[in-house]
Amino acid sequence: MELIQQTINALLLGCNYTLIAIGFSLFFGALNIVHFSHGDVCILGSFVVLILYKLGSSLGLFAAWPAWIVAPGVILTAAAVTGLMGALFEKLAIKPFRHAPELMVLVATVALGLIIREALRIFYPQGANPQIFPTLLPDGGFERGALFLRYDSLIILVATVVLIILVFLFVERTRVGSAIRAVSQDTEAAMMMGISVNGTIAVTFLLGSALGAVAGILNGAYISIIRYDMGLMGGIKGFSAAVVGGLGNIYGAILGGLMLGFVETFASALIPGGTAYKDVFSFLVVIFFLVFKPSGIVGEKVFEKV
Amino acid sequence: MNERSHHRTTALGVVFGSELLVYLAFLLFLRVEGAAGTLFVLTGIGAGWYLYDKMTAVQDFVSARFAGEKVFAMVLGLILLAVTPLFLRDTPYLIHLCLMAGIYVMLATGLNFQLGSTNIVNLATAASYGVGAYASALLNVHTGSGFWIAIFAAGGAAAFMGFILGLPTTKTKDYYLTLVTIAFGLIVYLLLNNLSWTGGPNGIGDIPPPSILGYSFRDELHFFNVRLPYQANYYYLVLFFVLLYTLISERLHHSRTGLTWNAIREDEIAARCAGIHVSRYKVLSFCINCFLDGVTGAVYAHYVCFISPENFQFMLSVVVVTMVILGGMDNTFGVVFGAVLLTLLPEKFRIFQEFRLLMYGIIVISTLVFRPQGLFPQKLRRYD
Repeated sequence: MELIQQTINALLLGCNYTLIAIGFSLFFGALNIVHFSHGDVCILGSFVVLILYKLGSSLGLFAAWPAWIVAPGVILTAAAVTGLMGALFEKLAIKPFRHAPELMVLVATVALGLIIREALRIFYPQGANPQIFPTLLPDGGFERGALFLRYDSLIILVATVVLIILVFLFVERTRVGSAIRAVSQDTEAAMMMGISVNGTIAVTFLLGSALGAVAGILNGAYISIIRYDMGLMGGIKGFSAAVVGGLGNIYGAILGGLMLGFVETFASALIPGGTAYKDVFSFLVVIFFLVFKPSGIVGEKVFEKV
Repeated sequence: MNERSHHRTTALGVVFGSELLVYLAFLLFLRVEGAAGTLFVLTGIGAGWYLYDKMTAVQDFVSARFAGEKVFAMVLGLILLAVTPLFLRDTPYLIHLCLMAGIYVMLATGLNFQLGSTNIVNLATAASYGVGAYASALLNVHTGSGFWIAIFAAGGAAAFMGFILGLPTTKTKDYYLTLVTIAFGLIVYLLLNNLSWTGGPNGIGDIPPPSILGYSFRDELHFFNVRLPYQANYYYLVLFFVLLYTLISERLHHSRTGLTWNAIREDEIAARCAGIHVSRYKVLSFCINCFLDGVTGAVYAHYVCFISPENFQFMLSVVVVTMVILGGMDNTFGVVFGAVLLTLLPEKFRIFQEFRLLMYGIIVISTLVFRPQGLFPQKLRRYD
């Protein structure tokens, strides 16, 4: 029973990392860059939920609607808002460096992350303190013997799976999705086919940031507390997951996210005193993968051309 | 004959005048208080620098004079740096700022070997700096070895860490390599925070200050009739190390090793074809960088006398990387300038209180947008 319980925890954590990692993979595919402030964008999403919730409650908008409409409505609105913000961030802090050395994007996105964190801390009322997250998902759960399943963890699992399927269908089956794939394969060739590269990149950032926002919101709803600086670690974990799976590949993001989730959960469950060192184990796994399989679990081996 | 001595006087005058001007601007920037004043001085310095940057004729003229009077320029610069504590002796905090700027200069010149010369984005500066600080602190607290032995132990421990970190990086590149260093830095931070013998989150306290022949660095410095606060001792210590580091960095840049690193940066495959042992030189750059970081960590630990894992967080590595990139990669002067600027700016922004880190971020992004090659781009190597 303990094993099943831990497996569910690992899956939950893995889902969260996967949603963040898909963003990293999308951005890397579109622009060959690593968006180091993506984790902060995710936390921004959960703060948008806080703001929407406060606004809505004070205006009395929520009283008329049942909870099962309000919660998805708030989450989707927040994801859309964060997605638009993500596209805007790309215009401000990443686009100016499209023809500059890659290092510039690295520093610019790190600085952008600092700006997002500080803005949350300063402009959100008492932003430096941990914030209590509203209960978006139903409380309680059901018991089956020693196993206790929370409803919210089930909802998170189902929602993540549905989202990933939707993203997959969007990227593989729609016109915009094929534009995204075209740009990630060869930007210049895509341009010659009449694809608006800037527009496609904006859509990519919108999609990735919205997914990240959902990750931040679901995480907030599950642990019911958020803080302005949680994005830093979340971003690094999401990036690690994307790399372990194979950067630029959505399946890779899923596999990498799940793997990190399992390593972390089982390291703290099985190794005595391992809770304090769970991140050490997951980063050791990351380093191991980078050294022995740098292309990731499903990534193709890249041969360097002279 | 007369003509030549006249030229000499003009050259000396230009060097003297421009160094004094920069120095006065620096002092003014340090001493100015209040939001309006700071903004005014900053705008003035920015405008002056912008004009200088645009007028290439003036630039060429001044740099030619500096090249002609190298010894004079250096001696004058040293004197100006040495007398700085005299002008700041009423406010020890400003001396503290200057010496913290010096510590960041040390970290940034160390990182420049990797980021600037070899194009290895090492985001584990905090780890090597922390390992050095902890090594010297632990050695001193447990054995009382004294500062001067501890710096070598700190450098050695950090260089060993750099060797360990360098080994896996020979098999990875680009973002993957960056992620290895990030992960490694976080592992070191987590270990410092959780192991019992490093004091955990409480850190290590009561680290003895350095001393020379019984004279402790925590005593006030008497200079004939002038009394300087104890920070001045450390200021001179850091100044010594900064000069040493810039010297090492210049010598290495102009050595065969520096050239080899540049070759690896430009094209790894071509470098390998030219017979360069790429992995060995990459690991070497890790070892040298980490050794210098470790020594810096020891200096810092013996200055503040109390260290905890909070001093060695991921953001510190990011800040040092920003300093190198903003100042100008592989250009020692640019790196020094970037480090000083980015240490002093947020401190000066203390008057904006809450907003200082926000403004820092905005300044970094906007500087990069307007000047993507850094403030002082790398100069071409000259062999004449």
